Amino acid sequence: MDSSSVDSAKFQRLLEQEQQRAMVNQMVAKLTDVCWDKCVTGSVGSSFSHSEVTCLSNCAQRYMELSMLTVQRFKSNGE
Amino acid sequence: MDGSSLDSAELQRFLEQEKQKAMFSEMVGKLTSVCWDKCISGSPGSKFSSSESTCLNNCAQRYLEMSQLILRRFQSM
Repeated sequence: MDSSSVDSAKFQRLLEQEQQRAMVNQMVAKLTDVCWDKCVTGSVGSSFSHSEVTCLSNCAQRYMELSMLTVQRFKSNGE
Repeated sequence: MDGSSLDSAELQRFLEQEKQKAMFSEMVGKLTSVCWDKCISGSPGSKFSSSESTCLNNCAQRYLEMSQLILRRFQSM
């Protein structure tokens, strides 16, 4: 039944793609959540202030950085 | 089995639609929660005050804006 093995490989690829996308979406949602709390204190304006924009940019980068550092630390502890 | 139930294009479309629905649902829930906390301090009235309405409007827009900014930054990495 060779058609099912073709489907299986394609299906695997589809699954992997979807997993990737799900991880990205999850990270974006987390970053949005975290950086909202960090950077939008006080009242909300009709646009972001300059300091808020800077904060959001830094926040996202630092959080990502920490995320990757944590993964690396975890890996090196396991060896 | 003619394979029509496993049609890849149809499945793709269906998956995509369901994803969109799920993401939309999640965002609505998130916005409600975040902006409630942000804008409704003290005890709720019998309707939203003018300042509460403004705050809620701003809040939802800013949160969505931020979400899109972060997504774009992510994609450019």
